[in-house]
Amino acid sequence: MAEYRLTVPLTEEDVRKLHVGDIVYLTGEVFTARDMAHLRARSLLEKGEPVPEPPMREGGVLFHAGPVMVKEGGVWKLMAIGPTTSMRMEPHCDIIPKLGVRVLVGKGGMGQSSLSTFKDWGAVYLAAAPGCAVKHAGAFISLKFVGWLDMGIPEAVWDFEVADWGPLVVAMDSHGLSIYDMIMEKARKILGY
Amino acid sequence: MKEGKRLSTISKGPDWQDLIEQVVHHSCTGIAPDAERLLRKAEAREDGPVAKSMLGSMIENIELAEELDKPVCQSPGFPAVYITFGKNSVMPDFTTIFKEIIPKMVADGFIRPSIVHPLTRKNTEDSTGPGVPNFEYDYRPEADYVELIVSFKACGAELMNAYKTFTSSTLGEDLEGLKKFVVGQVVEAKGIPCPPGAIGVGIGGQMDVAARLSRRAVSVREWDDTNPDPMLAELEEELLESINSTGIGPGGTGGRTTALGVKVLMAYTHTAIAPVAVNFHCWVARRAGVRVYDDGRIERLFWRCDR
Repeated sequence: MAEYRLTVPLTEEDVRKLHVGDIVYLTGEVFTARDMAHLRARSLLEKGEPVPEPPMREGGVLFHAGPVMVKEGGVWKLMAIGPTTSMRMEPHCDIIPKLGVRVLVGKGGMGQSSLSTFKDWGAVYLAAAPGCAVKHAGAFISLKFVGWLDMGIPEAVWDFEVADWGPLVVAMDSHGLSIYDMIMEKARKILGY
Repeated sequence: MKEGKRLSTISKGPDWQDLIEQVVHHSCTGIAPDAERLLRKAEAREDGPVAKSMLGSMIENIELAEELDKPVCQSPGFPAVYITFGKNSVMPDFTTIFKEIIPKMVADGFIRPSIVHPLTRKNTEDSTGPGVPNFEYDYRPEADYVELIVSFKACGAELMNAYKTFTSSTLGEDLEGLKKFVVGQVVEAKGIPCPPGAIGVGIGGQMDVAARLSRRAVSVREWDDTNPDPMLAELEEELLESINSTGIGPGGTGGRTTALGVKVLMAYTHTAIAPVAVNFHCWVARRAGVRVYDDGRIERLFWRCDR
């Protein structure tokens, strides 16, 4: 179990060295996208139209999250941010390579389609401690961009600068391993199901 | 003159607006003391570094939320309000009060605007909407109080809820069918419902009753209480032990603690069926309440100063 401090943008090589159980701290640009942003990005890509770039560019970090934001004196202020359930984004894993994303951060894990996309394309899934929105917010130092606010605050794309954000656990790696599958298999064996 | 005198002898009654504002603020910025007690015990029991780190982050997070007066989790989930009242109770219009307080909490950054039209997915931007919050009224004639409990339950957990109509045969010997259904659903859910939370099990009635009981069980009961029905107490204990033997752990990344509690509520049912609903609550037990007695005394429920 190794510990890494990585700086965004990330290369394929950066993520290929990560293995299930490793701990990662991230510094640099991280953008949020949930269900609606994935649906809109997919629809734009299918029509051959551009997606917001930055933040959706090669080497990016996509955070499954919707922050609590308030506008004070015309300036957005971050109150709290934490991971949302990643499995909802499973139907969209095929657009990850098209967006250039190398790291996904979320909670609860993703499925088999994502795992094979990570293997082919070279990406990893990092688990962030769920529900720890005040603690995570401490690493989010500034807002760089917000787009698609018409979809509402949680579903908009928020692009932040983070510093030493972690610990994040490598829960699905680019070598075909998923901590969630391993645990489920073990659980079934224990219970005899 | 006469009118004035009459008014002066009538007690003004509680300031419900203010009380509910306190309750909503308190529940958004921390977790209930019962859940915190269990979380701290669980952290002490874990020996794996990942599980220890996950639970450590959760405990650090609740301390930070309290200290900085911030929402403890970014997702406010879906609010439910449990109201118990008696035959002499005088109640205000709770619906109107909540429709004022929730947008105010949204503007102040304690509640993320997260309520949408269920089909168009259009966000209402103030976290209100028809049916939000959901009110559950419980009339108990003998109650000499009005009790109000607010529960903000997040929806990652909601994704893994399940329902099944069992029968006398499928319940199984020693309830094996039921037990396998509940524990199997926990395994299926893995890290999705933000473990370790509480698993609510609603049994009986028809589908609607079982589902409502399953939500109530994790919302109004203390997660470390003991079921007054010995048979259900034993069932809760057995299910909790099985669930925590799975190794799913905090956040689903492995460990001894997959649930802090299993809470069962039951109603009788028809001889042909045995409805069972499984309701996941994440570890973020955002619940707080208040009980106002007919004589004016006020008691706070699930209040963190009591820990």
